[in-house]
Amino acid sequence: MLKYILTRLLSGILTVYFIATVTFAAMHLVPGDPITGNKATSPEIRANLERKYGLDRPVLVQYGIYLKNMVNGDFGISFTQQNRSVNDIIRSHFPISATLGIASILFATFGGIFFGALTGISRKKIYDRSIMFGVILAISVPSFVFAAVSQFFMTELNQKAGTTLLPVGGWGGLSHMILPAIVLGLGTLAFLTRLMRSSLLEVVNQDYIRTARAKGLSPTRIFFSHQLRNAVLPVITVLGPAIAAITTGGFVVESVFAIPGLGRYFVQAVQQLDYTVIMGLTVFYGAFLVFMVITVDIAYGLIDPRIKVSARSA
Amino acid sequence: MNSTDKPILEVRDLKVEFDTYGGTVQAVRGVHFALAKGKTLAIVGESGCGKSVTVQSLMGLIPSPPGRITSGSVRLNGREILGLSPKEANQVRGKQIGMIFQDPMTSLNPTMTLGRQITETIRVHDGVSDAEARKRAIELLEQVQIPEARTRVDQYPFQFSGGMRQRVMIAMSIACNPEILIADEPTTALDVTIQAQILDLLKTIQRDRRMSMILITHDLGVVARMADDVAVMYAGQIVEYGGVQQIFHRSAHPYTVGLRSAMPQNDEAQSKMLKPIEGSPPDLFDPPKGCAYFDRCPHAMKVCAARNPPLWDVQEDHLSRCWIHHKFATSSTEVFRSNRMGQEWEIQK
Repeated sequence: MLKYILTRLLSGILTVYFIATVTFAAMHLVPGDPITGNKATSPEIRANLERKYGLDRPVLVQYGIYLKNMVNGDFGISFTQQNRSVNDIIRSHFPISATLGIASILFATFGGIFFGALTGISRKKIYDRSIMFGVILAISVPSFVFAAVSQFFMTELNQKAGTTLLPVGGWGGLSHMILPAIVLGLGTLAFLTRLMRSSLLEVVNQDYIRTARAKGLSPTRIFFSHQLRNAVLPVITVLGPAIAAITTGGFVVESVFAIPGLGRYFVQAVQQLDYTVIMGLTVFYGAFLVFMVITVDIAYGLIDPRIKVSARSA
Repeated sequence: MNSTDKPILEVRDLKVEFDTYGGTVQAVRGVHFALAKGKTLAIVGESGCGKSVTVQSLMGLIPSPPGRITSGSVRLNGREILGLSPKEANQVRGKQIGMIFQDPMTSLNPTMTLGRQITETIRVHDGVSDAEARKRAIELLEQVQIPEARTRVDQYPFQFSGGMRQRVMIAMSIACNPEILIADEPTTALDVTIQAQILDLLKTIQRDRRMSMILITHDLGVVARMADDVAVMYAGQIVEYGGVQQIFHRSAHPYTVGLRSAMPQNDEAQSKMLKPIEGSPPDLFDPPKGCAYFDRCPHAMKVCAARNPPLWDVQEDHLSRCWIHHKFATSSTEVFRSNRMGQEWEIQK
């Protein structure tokens, strides 16, 4: 198990290195640079700025400095926000994005498993039909539409109630989180519902379920101790990519709900070609996702005994 | 049917249907049999003849829908067990009747330790403590001859071979001391040497615990080795029923005779070309009005197409569903009788 984790971590580090290199290359291939902005800059100022940020040196040297700083955990200073370091941006805004992300991942995962199980075991067609209709809706409609629509209805509701039941924007307590977390998790929830449903329908017809019935176990017991665990396995495998989907989806939802998360800075940085911020945030997000995928794989090993041992013998 | 002992299980006129897109399949069309205490009844027949459906409906394991038990009665120690409430049925399953299945590779839950799978049955039925159930699980594993039962009990199915898994299935099915063990083709998925071991194990356990057993198989070799009584099934009905000696040495139904000539012999002197039964079983969406074996039977008569024969008493406790036992049947019966005499002679030699 330890060997498995170490191998996975090593390959994860390699992945992050590639992400860093590709981002760096992409930044320098894109026409324009952060200094060419709205204001006209005289050649002297330009040369000064280039010296300050090290842009006057050969690309390979810049690459070397960039890697060296990154290893030391320093992503540099923003070009456009005066003297603000990328690390500082991450430190103050990532916790907000992460909280929102975790809330919506939890909502999507448990909701997906719950609704999937409901459609999978319910003998009544009406539940199945209506949930599957909702699933298709949630998968096809983009999150910014849901964001706007939910804001609209919530505002109406708040007006009807004469008080703020749930705020439709900004960031503060738990109440600020509910609406954006639901909107952000909805697509993933729908996807997981479908996965859980088909997985459960497959498990229900397995021979070992017949064995469990032949042992005289009650349906509830069969469901919880035999069907659920086996049906959840495929759901856990896609949690890695699902986390990625929610994290990236967060950029849009954060801007609609005016949440001061990392996503907003990312979008801003791309618009202004803020080299250091783009590279820093990309590498940071990349590393975060790689880490999450590894965590999910390890969790998978804990739930499915077959994975653990094959990894040990490998 | 053994009239001397009071049977532990009595099945009468069991009929099972399945609704499919193609129509309704009449999988079991009126099956009667009785199981005596401590005896083994083998149900033999080719694929699709309704053997498994018969026993699964005794256990209430027919998925419904699409399955439907349309008539019949199943009495366990005189008590009707068809149409019990789900809760009552759960007290019969696993406690009074244990069951093992054909494919041990897929019949165990892959993500649960074997110990938990065994103790689960014990705890549900006997309400003992976790520790006590575990102790019993280890004992059971030892009884089915799993080495190092103490460590193996915490392992998962994928760490076991097919034969070992079938042993675990046996341990699980006998965990609550059932009176009846149903083995649905327990050795079909195993290789030949393992088959013999599993059959021996079943036999030992049955003898030690004085269990009754229903053994489903399409292997006449297994029947000869294990059974006291035999029911030969064809197209959802029992066509011949009798003691194992009677079925093998005095086969009364042309289908049984056909099965026997299609069976390979070990003895070189007797080994001849195997004779397959030509044709295929009838369509159970629309079963024939007459005898279901009519199209394939070498002794078919006019009456066979028109009416389904009843079960005749050929001898005491030996029944056969064929018109040739009727006293008016003559010409083809002669052929059949001589055919049978020849076989008996071969066996006696």
